[in-house]
Order: sequence, then C-alpha cells, then structure tokens
Amino acid sequence: MAEQEQGHHDVDRFLEDQIDTVPHLEALLLLWNSRPKEWSIEEMAKALYLAPEAAKEILDDLVRRRLISAIMGNTESFRYDPETDKDLLMAAVDSTYRRELIRVTRLIHSKASASVRAFARAFRIKKDRE
Amino acid sequence: MNVEMIEGFLLGVIAASSLTAGVFFLKFWRKTRDSFFLAFAASFLIEGLNRCGILLLQKPNEGSPWVYLVRLLSFLLILGAILKKNYGEK
Amino acid sequence: MGWIVYILGALVSSCCGLLLLRSYAHVKKRLLLWSGLCFVGLAISNLLIFVDLVIFPRINLYPLRLVATAASMLLLLYGLIWESEQ
Repeated sequence: MAEQEQGHHDVDRFLEDQIDTVPHLEALLLLWNSRPKEWSIEEMAKALYLAPEAAKEILDDLVRRRLISAIMGNTESFRYDPETDKDLLMAAVDSTYRRELIRVTRLIHSKASASVRAFARAFRIKKDRE
Repeated sequence: MNVEMIEGFLLGVIAASSLTAGVFFLKFWRKTRDSFFLAFAASFLIEGLNRCGILLLQKPNEGSPWVYLVRLLSFLLILGAILKKNYGEK
Repeated sequence: MGWIVYILGALVSSCCGLLLLRSYAHVKKRLLLWSGLCFVGLAISNLLIFVDLVIFPRINLYPLRLVATAASMLLLLYGLIWESEQ
C-alpha cells in the first residue's frame, strides 16, 4: 500500500515538474508507447490533432526537458529513447493516465501557466531540480 | 508643456503600473500557493502606494527618509523571497 | 544616507534582471524577457537616483529617473498582460 502511494507520489511529482499541458503529456506518451519509432512533426501534429507549429513547440519543450530525443536528418524527427529509470516512471505515468484521466488532467490544468512557473524557477540559483 | 505636470503624469503611470503588477503577482500567488509571488506582490503594491504617498511630500525629488525606507522594505521583500527560494525549507 | 538604499535597490534589481534574462536564454518564455528588461531598467533608474543625489547634486535628473522607471514598469505590464497565460 505504501509502495503504491510512493508510485503515485512520483507520478504526480513528475506531472507537476515536467508536464506543462495535456497535449505535452499525450505527445510524450505517444512516443513512449510507440518507442523507438521516429515521428516527424507533421505525423505528430496529425496524431495529436494539433497545428504543426503547436506540435513543434511541444516537441521542442519535451526535448529541452530531455524527455525525448530529436534526430536531425532531412527533416527533424523525434523519438523516445529507452533508459531504465525513466522507463519505470513512464510506465507508471502511462498507466496512471489511463486509469485516472480526470484526476491527471485536473492536476495539469490546475497548474499555473508555464511562463509563471518559469518565472519562479528563474530565481533558483542552486540547480538541484532544473 | 509644464514640467510639473509631466512629472505628476509619470508618477501616476508608475503608481498605476506598480499596483497593477502587484495584483498580477497576487493572482500568481493564488494559483501557485508559492509565497515567492506573494513577496513580489507585496513589494510592487508597497512601491505603488509609496508613489502615491509622494504626493504628500513638499519636495518629491529630495531623498526623503520615508520614501527610501519604504523602498528599502520593498527591496528586502524581494531579496528575502529569493533567499528563501534558494536556502529555505527543502 | 538614503543613497545606500538605492544602491542596494540597483543591486537587487540587476540580480533579478540577470536571473530572468539568463533563464529566458534557456527557456524562451517571453514573460521572462519583459520582466527581465523591467528589472534591468529599474536597476538603471535606481542608479540614476544615486547619481542624481550624490554625484551630480546640482543637476536635476528627476524627470529622467521618472521616465526610466515608467518605461520599465510598462515593459513589465506588457509582459504580464500578453504572456502570463502562456
């Protein structure tokens, strides 16, 4: 029971720290579930029902947070790179999102905008949690 | 164009924008529950009110103690917020 | 004696401005740009108060100080209104 709570806590902490919007989460989970398939911006945009510019912004955000990788080629493409620790967390996030859609989306929506959170984060001189 | 009017106008702009910025930071505090934003809100609101208070002074340009003590408070609030964010509770 | 406060103010404001602009270079959130510029402007304005009161007491820099402060605050307001929802 305690272990389950700890897992819950880790997922929530991840959502709090790393996920700006629901489309961000869906993009990440799409790449996770199809790993190691590489997706182009247009393919992602279509799969997520977003405009390509919006998809590019989301993918760039995820790359910057080192959650996914960008591959340079003729066109830029993106994929999830497996990594043991990250994989465990991603599996937990994925199953939590499937089981508790409403709670997760509520949690994400209740956050302040990414800009406001970035403002507060800018003043962290000690980079322990960047 | 009257210099005093321009100075008064600019003081008004500064007061109104400081108060507005303060209210924005209050909103961020309410959303995030992060006291960091409360400190910024207090800092800007105090400075906005300080600018209004300047209207009561005879010589606004001079370094009147009241003005700079309040300004000091507003800086200390921001400094405190930054220090707390970095060295406060883990 | 008050001028020490304004030097402190200039230091605190430039610190804020630098932190925000440095973060903007990494994260590209425009709120950080506008607020960073505001704090840089406020640092300049505080420095001008020191210059006005201590270094050139005979010259009146008050209107210039006010312009610097007002411009900085307007930059911050612009950023807060346009970018704080993003």
